[in-house]
Amino acid sequence: MAQQAVKTLRQVKPLLSLDQGQARSRVLNLYKAWYRQLPYIVHKYDIPKSIGDCKNKLREEFLKHKDLTDVRVIDMLVIKGQMELKETVNIWKQKGHIMTFFKDTEEPKPTDFLSKFLTNTN
Amino acid sequence: MASILRQLTRTIRSPIVQNRVVASSNGLRFKTTAPAEPKEETRPTVRKFDPAQREQLKDFGQYVAECMPKYVQKVQLTAGDELEVLIAPDGIVPILQFLKDHHNCQFTNLTDIAGMDVPSRQFRFEIIYNMLSVRFNSRIRVKTYTDELTPIDSCNDVYKAANWYEREIWDMYGVFFANHPDLRRILTDYGFEGHPFRRDFPLTGYVEVRYDDEKKRVVIEPLELAQEFRKFELAAPWEQFPNFRNAPAASEEIPIKDEEK
Repeated sequence: MAQQAVKTLRQVKPLLSLDQGQARSRVLNLYKAWYRQLPYIVHKYDIPKSIGDCKNKLREEFLKHKDLTDVRVIDMLVIKGQMELKETVNIWKQKGHIMTFFKDTEEPKPTDFLSKFLTNTN
Repeated sequence: MASILRQLTRTIRSPIVQNRVVASSNGLRFKTTAPAEPKEETRPTVRKFDPAQREQLKDFGQYVAECMPKYVQKVQLTAGDELEVLIAPDGIVPILQFLKDHHNCQFTNLTDIAGMDVPSRQFRFEIIYNMLSVRFNSRIRVKTYTDELTPIDSCNDVYKAANWYEREIWDMYGVFFANHPDLRRILTDYGFEGHPFRRDFPLTGYVEVRYDDEKKRVVIEPLELAQEFRKFELAAPWEQFPNFRNAPAASEEIPIKDEEK
């Protein structure tokens, strides 16, 4: 038992944040930064989505990772999200890259027997 | 006139020749004192090493280890005559600064930074710095280790060349460099997810890109292959290179003195 505790407790080098509180505030800051940029993104990229759609999508993307507890994993995602935001705002991306978030060309996978049979998948 | 000149040059040259002979005999004497030298390589297809150069590299490796005992963990010679210094990740900036600025090193040129992924290790990534000393015409390799979430100090303040190399490592392996002035992707496309040089990244990637005529734009979709990626059994039942059965190990460790405790 004691050995297990020793194994799981490992001293690590922090990425950015030292505790949960700092990581949380970084996440919230990133969310706010994206939220404020959304109208400009919709306008500049001329995507066929409303600002409301984008807000829902943003919320969805953040809630994907809502169960994370490791501070370093959260930090790494924040760093990547920050880079993504920079690429988006500076228009290094193109329309297709933005629309990838919405997955509007992907056909949903067949779930019931008949449609599986018709699309020849199993 | 010409014959006189020739004679003169001959007489001038002769002591130098003698000196050379003396020098080589000195080298021979050193050789005899060295412990159990392996027998001389005569096969024409096998690379021969200069024993004097190897000796120099060994001495230099020990010197580096003595100067920076806190960070150097191991010094080794690989492929016969390439010096490698294996260090702790905390010491990357001081070691590189030392190797660049110390009068006996002067490795002023950062040739390359490479990465390596071995998923079975506790610290799965190796970061490898290749340096060149123009002053002494020699090269050195510094290796350190990290994992996906441990940041490594950027050596951009020591070598300006590290900027793009570190971006490349970040892009290909996902190793985060702390204090890098401009860390972003460099080789992959915007919106690309994952780090392609990791061993767990599939050969085919996760997405495919095509032009959609209805949408009038490029779309990115998850990749689906009709057939699973096949693994072929390539190992043959017979021995491949019997001549190299007793080949020397790829790297040999150079003993470094322990600190007095």
